Amino acid sequence: MRFGNAFASLRTRIVVFFATLLVLVQGLAFLVVTTANNEIARDSISQELEVGERVFLRLFDQQRGQLEQSARLLASEFGFRQAVASADRATILSALGNHGARASASVMLLVSLDHMLLADTLHPAAPPELFKHSYLTAAAEASGQATGVVNIDGKLYQLVVVQVNAPTTIAWVGVGLAIDDKTAGDLKSLTTLDVSFLSQQAPQPWRLHASTLPDASRGALVSSAVNPPGGGTFGVSLDGQDYLARALSIETRDNTQVVAILHDSLVRGFAPFQRVSRAFLILAVLAVVLSVVGSIAIAQNITRPINALALVAQRIKAGDYTEKVSVAPTGEVNEISALKASFNHMLDGIARREKENLRLAFEDHLTRLPNRAMFHDRLTQALMLAKRHGQPIGVMMLDLDRFKYVNDTLGHPAGDAVLCEVAQRFRELLRESDTVARLGGDEFAILLPSGDPVRTGSLARKIQQALELPITVEGQPIDIGTSIGIVHSPQHGVDANTLLRRADIAMYAAKRAKSGFAIYDERLEENRQDHLTLLGELRRAIEQNELRLFYQPKFGFAKKDSSGMEALIRWQHPTRGLVSPVEFIPFAEQTGNIKMISRWVIDSAFAQCGVWEKAGHPLRISINISARDLLDKELVPYVAETLQKYAVTPALICVELTESALMEDPINATQTLKSLHDLGLKLSMDDYGTGYSSLAYIKDLSLDELKIDRTFVASMQNDPQSAAIVQSTIDLGHRLGMVVVAEGVESAQELLTLNDFGCDYAQGFHVARPMQASEIIAWLLTNHET
Amino acid sequence: MLAAFPAVAGSVAVTLTDQNGKALRDAVVYARPVAGTRVPIPPPKQVAVEQRDREFVPYVSVVQTGTTVTFPNRDALLHHVYSFSAAKNFEIKLYSGDTARSILFDKPGVVTLGCNIHDWMLGYVLVVDTAYFEKSGSDGRVSINDIVAGEFEIHVWHPHQRAATPMKLVKLDARANTLFDFTIDVVPRKKPFKPALDGIRYK
Repeated sequence: MRFGNAFASLRTRIVVFFATLLVLVQGLAFLVVTTANNEIARDSISQELEVGERVFLRLFDQQRGQLEQSARLLASEFGFRQAVASADRATILSALGNHGARASASVMLLVSLDHMLLADTLHPAAPPELFKHSYLTAAAEASGQATGVVNIDGKLYQLVVVQVNAPTTIAWVGVGLAIDDKTAGDLKSLTTLDVSFLSQQAPQPWRLHASTLPDASRGALVSSAVNPPGGGTFGVSLDGQDYLARALSIETRDNTQVVAILHDSLVRGFAPFQRVSRAFLILAVLAVVLSVVGSIAIAQNITRPINALALVAQRIKAGDYTEKVSVAPTGEVNEISALKASFNHMLDGIARREKENLRLAFEDHLTRLPNRAMFHDRLTQALMLAKRHGQPIGVMMLDLDRFKYVNDTLGHPAGDAVLCEVAQRFRELLRESDTVARLGGDEFAILLPSGDPVRTGSLARKIQQALELPITVEGQPIDIGTSIGIVHSPQHGVDANTLLRRADIAMYAAKRAKSGFAIYDERLEENRQDHLTLLGELRRAIEQNELRLFYQPKFGFAKKDSSGMEALIRWQHPTRGLVSPVEFIPFAEQTGNIKMISRWVIDSAFAQCGVWEKAGHPLRISINISARDLLDKELVPYVAETLQKYAVTPALICVELTESALMEDPINATQTLKSLHDLGLKLSMDDYGTGYSSLAYIKDLSLDELKIDRTFVASMQNDPQSAAIVQSTIDLGHRLGMVVVAEGVESAQELLTLNDFGCDYAQGFHVARPMQASEIIAWLLTNHET
Repeated sequence: MLAAFPAVAGSVAVTLTDQNGKALRDAVVYARPVAGTRVPIPPPKQVAVEQRDREFVPYVSVVQTGTTVTFPNRDALLHHVYSFSAAKNFEIKLYSGDTARSILFDKPGVVTLGCNIHDWMLGYVLVVDTAYFEKSGSDGRVSINDIVAGEFEIHVWHPHQRAATPMKLVKLDARANTLFDFTIDVVPRKKPFKPALDGIRYK
C-alpha cells in the first residue's frame, strides 16, 4: 500500500495526529522546562556567586583583621620594641621570625621611619634597602596601619603594616600572609565556590597566582580574565566546562591590579535539573507509546464499524436493502451503536420510499389507476406477447364529456370525486387481465390483451350504460357521458404510439359525431388531413372573400310572412366547390379560428341587414354564435361598433346559440349574452331539446326565441311522443314570453301540424332553401305578395 | 659660689610661635656658652616627672646634664616607665608611689618617656648641657635671667617640631635683655585614646 493510501485511512490519521500532538506538546513542555531550569540554575549559581562574593570579601577582611591584630600585638610588645630600639639586625630578625611563627604569617618586615626595609624574614641576609611598598608605610604614618596585596618575588601576599610606638613611632612592622592555592582552597571550603587570584602589572599580561582549579583549566581562566568585567556575573568556558564567574578587585594601585575570581561550574547547577529532565524524557516516551497504542485501539473501535457501514452502503447502492448492519449488543461506543441504528432505520426508509416512488411513478395518485407511463409499458408488453401468440389486442381511449363543466361549477374536489367514481365503474367492467389507466385530466385508456372487435364493441356499450347512471357528488347527481375511441392490433397498428394516436383520433371522431364510440377508420385520418388543409386555407378564404352568407327565410304563421331569416355560412372553395360549415366550423372552433369567422359573419350580416333596412325592407336576421365567441371579451364591443357602422336597428338582429355553447363556461357566456341583449339584440336558443333543455337557463337569459330541434319535427308525424314534446315546448315558450321556431320543416303536413300546435315560425326546405342575398327580395315579392 | 662670678648679668627674652603665629607652649629655649665663655657650674639638681592621672606631668621637662630625675607615681595604680632614647635607655618596672629609683640623665639629648602598660602616656625630658634653659608657658614666652656676659648659642626645641630649628649665635651683654622671636613648625598633636578610669572602655 502506498503511503498516501495509508495516510488516507482514518486509523492512521488518528494515530499520527495524537502521537504528533503529544510529541509536540511534550517537546514544547520539555523545551520550556529545560529553558526554565537553565535559567533557574543560572540564577541560582548567579545568586550563589553573589553570596559567595560577600562571604569572600568578609573572609578576606577577617584575614586582614587577623593580620592587623597580629601586627599590633607584635608592635606593642615591649620586648619587640626593645629589640627594634636596639637597632641590632640579628635581634630584630629573630624577633620578627619568632612572632611571625606565632601569627602563622608568611612574611614579617621591619621598615624604618625613613622607609628603609631594615629586616625581611624572606630575605634575612639582604642589606637594608628602600621599602618597595612604601605607599603602605606612608598610609600607615597617617592612619596608624595600612593593608595591601603586594607581589613579592612573584607571589601575592596580603600585607598589613602598623606603627611601632615607643611610645612615639620608631618603625613600621609588616605582617604578610601568602595568597596561595591553600588560601584559595580555604576560601572555597567556606564559599563553596572556586576561587582564583590573578594580578597584572601593566603592561605585563595577567598572571594567575593561586586557584582551586585543576592546572588544566588555569590557562583558560587567565585568558578569560584579560578584561575582567567591571562587575557583575559573566560566563566563562574552562576546559570544556561552562562556568559563571564574578571578578572582585582586591587591589588597584597605579598600574597594578589584583583580582579574585569566584566561579562556579554550571554543570553543578544543572545537575539536579538533569535528573528531572531524564525523568521527564522517560515519562514522555512512555506517554507517546501509550497514546499510540490507545489511539490505535480507539481508532479501530471507530473504523471497524465504519467499514461495516461502508459495506452495507455499497449493497444499498447496488439496490440490496435486505442485509442490515449488525448491532453489537455490548462493548461498542454509544455513538457507533446509534449510527448503526440510524443506518438501519435509513435503510428501511430508503426501501420504503423506493417502493413508494416506484408506485407513484406508475400510478395515478388520485384514482390509484396505472398512469400513462405504466399503460404504455403494459401495452408494449402486451404487443410483444400478441406478436408471439397472434392474439388480437383492443385499446380504448376515453374522454369524459362535460367534465370541465363539473370542475368549473362544482369545484375540483367534486371533479376528483367524479374521476374516482368513473375509475371504479371502469374497474368493475374489466377482467383481471385488462388494464384501465388514467392518462391525465379526464382522459382514460383501456387495454384489452385479448380484445377482438366484438369484445371492444360490447365493452364500449357497457361503459356507456355504466355512465348513464348519474354520479352523486355531495348529494348532487351529475350526468357524465364519455366518448370512446377504439383501435385493434394488429389491424390498426403494432406499436404502442401508433395505436394510442389512432385511438385518440377515433375518440375525437366519436365526440364530434356524438356517437358515443367510434372504431378507428383510415378515413378519419384523411378527414383529419382534410381539416388541416382547410384550416390553412381558411385564412385565405376570408382574405379572398371566398366565404358567403346564405339566408334561409322563416315562415311566420301569424302574419303569413317571411320577414325573418337565418344567415348560414358557406365556403365557395375554388376547387372543392361549396363546402358545408360542418366540415370547417368545428375545426375552426378547436383551433381558435372561429373568432375570425364570427367577425366576418357579424360584419357581413349586419351590412346586409343595413342595406335592406335602407331599401325599406326591415328584415330580421339570425346569426349563429359559437361557444368560443361567448368567451371573447371583445365580442360585445365589436357587435356594438358594427351595429353603429351599418346603422342597423339592433332589434333586427337575433343571436342564435346552442345549449352546449352555454355549458362550457356558463358564467361568462351568460354575462356576454346579457350584454348583447342589453344592446337591443334578440337571443335565440338553437337545437332546443337535444341537450339539457334547462329551463333555468331559459329563464335567466331572458331569451326571445326558442328553436325546436329538427329531430323532433321530423318524427312528429309518426311519433306521438315527439309530437307531444313539440307541442309542449311551443306552450312552454309561449308561457315564458318567447316566440317558438320549428326547424327542419320539410313537408306541408308538418307545416299544418305546427300551425295547429300554435308554433310561431317554421324553417326548412318546405318553407325556403337557403339562398343568396340577391335572391331574397325577389323571393319575398314572389311568395308573399301583399 | 655665685660670688665668684661677676654680679652683673644679662637676660634673654624669647617669644615662640608656631607656623600659624600662635603662641607655642612647651617649647624649650636654652643657651649654650660657646667655647671661651665661662659659666658657673651649678650644683646637681633633683627633678621629678610625676605620673598623675596616667599622664606624665609635666609633659615636657628640661634638665641639665647630670641631673637625677625621679618618677614619683601619684596614681593608685602601677606604672612601668621606660625610654628607648639614645640619650637615656632605661626602664623602671612596675612600681607605685615614690619607690621608683631615680635616673641620672648624663647625656644631652631628647629622652622620650613611655609607660609599658599605658600606651598613650607620653613625656619628654630634654637633657641639655647648660644651666641656662627655660620652657614656655601658654603665652609662648620664655625669659632666661642672670646670664653671664659672653657668647652663647640660643637653641629652641619643641617635642612636635617637624625639624630642628637652627640655633642663633649671640653675644650677651651684662644687664642687657636680648629679645628673640622664634617660629617653630610643629605637627599638631593628636591625643591618643585614653580610657576612663571608672571602667575600661575601648574603641
